[in-house]
Amino acid sequence: MSGLLPLTSREFKKWYRNPISLVTGLIQPFFWIALFGSAFAGLADLSGASNSIIEGAPNYITFILGGVLTITGLFTAMFTGVNLIFDRRLGTLGRFLIAPIKRSSIVFSKIFSAIARIIIQVAILIGAALVLPDGLRFAHGFTLFDVGVLIAAVLMISFIFASIFNLIAIRITQPNSLFGILNLINLPLLFTSTAMFPPDLMAGWIRTVAKYNPVSWSADSIRTVIINGSLTSSQMSQLGIWLLALFVLAVALVLLTYFLSEKGIRE
Amino acid sequence: MTETIIKTENLTKTYSGSNVKAVDNLNIEIMKGEIYGLLGPNGAGKTTTISMLSTRVAPSGGKAIVAGYDIIKDSLKVRKVIGVVPQDLTTDEDLSGYENLMMVASFYDVNKNKAKEKAAQLLRLVDLEEAANKHVKTYSGGMRKRLELIVGLINEPEILFLDEPTLGLDVQTRSQMWKYIRDIQEKLDVTIILTSHYLDEIDALSSRVTIIDHGKVLVTGTSEELKAKLKGDIIMMTFKTQEEAEKIKEFPNLVDVKDNGPKSVRLKVQDSDRELPNVIEFISKNQLSLTRMTVQKPSLDDVFLEYTGKGIRDAEGGGEFRQTMFNMRRLRR
Ligand SMILES: Nc1ncnc2c1ncn2[C@@H]1O[C@H](COP(=O)(O)OP(=O)(O)OP(=O)(O)O)[C@@H](O)[C@H]1O
Ligand SMILES: [Mg+2]
Repeated sequence: MSGLLPLTSREFKKWYRNPISLVTGLIQPFFWIALFGSAFAGLADLSGASNSIIEGAPNYITFILGGVLTITGLFTAMFTGVNLIFDRRLGTLGRFLIAPIKRSSIVFSKIFSAIARIIIQVAILIGAALVLPDGLRFAHGFTLFDVGVLIAAVLMISFIFASIFNLIAIRITQPNSLFGILNLINLPLLFTSTAMFPPDLMAGWIRTVAKYNPVSWSADSIRTVIINGSLTSSQMSQLGIWLLALFVLAVALVLLTYFLSEKGIRE
Repeated sequence: MTETIIKTENLTKTYSGSNVKAVDNLNIEIMKGEIYGLLGPNGAGKTTTISMLSTRVAPSGGKAIVAGYDIIKDSLKVRKVIGVVPQDLTTDEDLSGYENLMMVASFYDVNKNKAKEKAAQLLRLVDLEEAANKHVKTYSGGMRKRLELIVGLINEPEILFLDEPTLGLDVQTRSQMWKYIRDIQEKLDVTIILTSHYLDEIDALSSRVTIIDHGKVLVTGTSEELKAKLKGDIIMMTFKTQEEAEKIKEFPNLVDVKDNGPKSVRLKVQDSDRELPNVIEFISKNQLSLTRMTVQKPSLDDVFLEYTGKGIRDAEGGGEFRQTMFNMRRLRR
C-alpha cells in the first residue's frame, strides 16, 4: 500500500502539533475512569449482593475497565472519519488523489493512526486505573493471555467503528452530516451495551439488544479475563464466541473499506 | 519540438447528474518541451480537461495519450510521470513547506536523499528557502502558490499541469510567478500545460495556445499567429466622398474592413504601428482626402470576448465569429 507510511506519519504530525487535541485525547481516559469510577462506586458498596451484580469484580473500577477501554477505542475510531472530510474540504485530498498511491492508503492512514492513538490511550488508562485508590485489581495477576484478549478486543472494536465511519466519509462531503450521524448513534450504542452497566440492572429489552451489540462483546471479553483470571471452560467458549464475532465483523468491514475506497474516494 | 507528448481524440466529459458536456470532443496535440496554454472563460472546461489528462476524472468519451500512456488503461503510469498544480490549494497547512514536499516525494517513491536535494533545489528556485521550515498556515497567498508550484515538481515530472497558477495574486506577484514558470521550463526540461483566463499570461508564457469555451476548441495556434489575429488594431477613417471610402478597402494589408456609417470605414490591420505609414502612403498615392482618422488598439478583454463572448454566446454562429474564423484561415495562408 504505497503512500500509507507518509500519510500515517502526517496524521501523527498533525496530532501531536495540535496541543488541544493531544491533551484532550490523553486526558479523556482519566476522566472516564475517574467519573465512572466514582459515579457508580456506590454500586459496589451497596451490599454483598452487589458483588454479584458487577459480576464478581472486587470493585466498580475493575468491572468498568473493559467498558471504558472499549468506549475509548470506539469514540476515537469514530472521529477518524471527520479527518477525511476535512482533508476533502481543505484541498489536501486533491493532492493525494493525483498521486500514484493506492486510494485505500488514504483511508487506512487515518484508521491506523487512530489505532495507534487508541493503544496509547489504553496504556494510560490501565496505568491510571491501577494507581487510583481502590482501583483496578486483577484476579490472579495479569497474564500474557489477558493482555492479548484485552488488546485484541479493543483493536477489533476500533477497526470496526473506524471502518464504518471512514466508509461514510468516503461519500459524505459535509462535516456536519458526519457529526449528526455520530451524535445519533454514539450514546444509543453505549447505553444498549454492557459497557457501563451490569446487564442485571438493565430493562429486559435492552438486555436483549446488548447481547448483539459489538460494544458489549468487546467490553465483556475484557471483563471476563480481568475479573476471573483463570476461566472455566464455559467462560472460555463464551469468550471465544465474542472474540470470533468481533473478528469476523472487523475483517469484513476492513475489507469492505479497502474495496470501496479503492473504487474511488469522492472528491 | 516535434515529438508529440499529449494527444487527445474526441475527449469528452459529461459530469454525472448534468447533461452539459463540460468538455466536448476535444482534439488537441501538445509537443514535448513547449508551454501550452489553455485559455477560456469560467466554466469553459479547462479544469475538466486537465483533470482528465491527469487521470483525476474519468472521461465519458474519447481517448487521450499522455507521455505515451493511455489515460484510462495506464492511469497509474500517467500519474507517475506528471506533476499537477490544481486550481485549488492542496498543501497541508499544519505541515511546513519542506514537510509537504517530502511527503509528496514519498508518494512517488523518490529516494529520501534525492528528495531532500530536490526539495532544496526547488525551494531555492522559488525563493522559499527561508520559509521552508515554517508551517504553511503562516504563508502569504503568493508564497502558498509558489509552494504549490514546486510540490508539482518534486517527482521530476515530464509534464507539468498548471491550473490557473496566478489566480488571486496581485500584479507584481503574478509577473514574479511567470518568471518562476519560465525558469522551470528552461531549467527542468519539462513540458508545461497552463490554463488561464488571462490572455496576457498566456501571451507571456506559452508557445502555443488553444482557446476553449463550452468544452470546445475555438482556435489553436502559436502565440504569434494568435497575437497577429487577436491584436488586430482598428483604424477608423472618414473621407470626403463615399468613393474614396470604397477605395481604401483596396488597401492590401488589411485583416478586415467594414463600413462605419457614410463615408466612414473601419479598417482592421494586424499591427497599426507598422501599417499606419503604409495606410498613409496608400492614401497619398491614391490622392484620397481624409477628414478624420483614429487608431484603436483593442484591449485584451475585447480580444477575448471576440472568441468566447460575442461570436458564440450572444449570436449563435454570429457573423463576427465566422468572420474571425474566416480571417484565421486567411492568415494561415
Ligand atoms: N464536479 C463537477 N460536477 C458537475 N459539473 C461540473 C463539475 N466540475 C465542473 N463542472 C461543470 O463543468 C463545466 C466546466 O467546468 P471547469 O471547471 O472545467 O471549467 P474551467 O474552465 O476550469 O472554469 P474556471 O475558469 O472557472 O476554473 C462547468 O459548466 C462546470 O459547472
Ligand atoms: Mg478551472
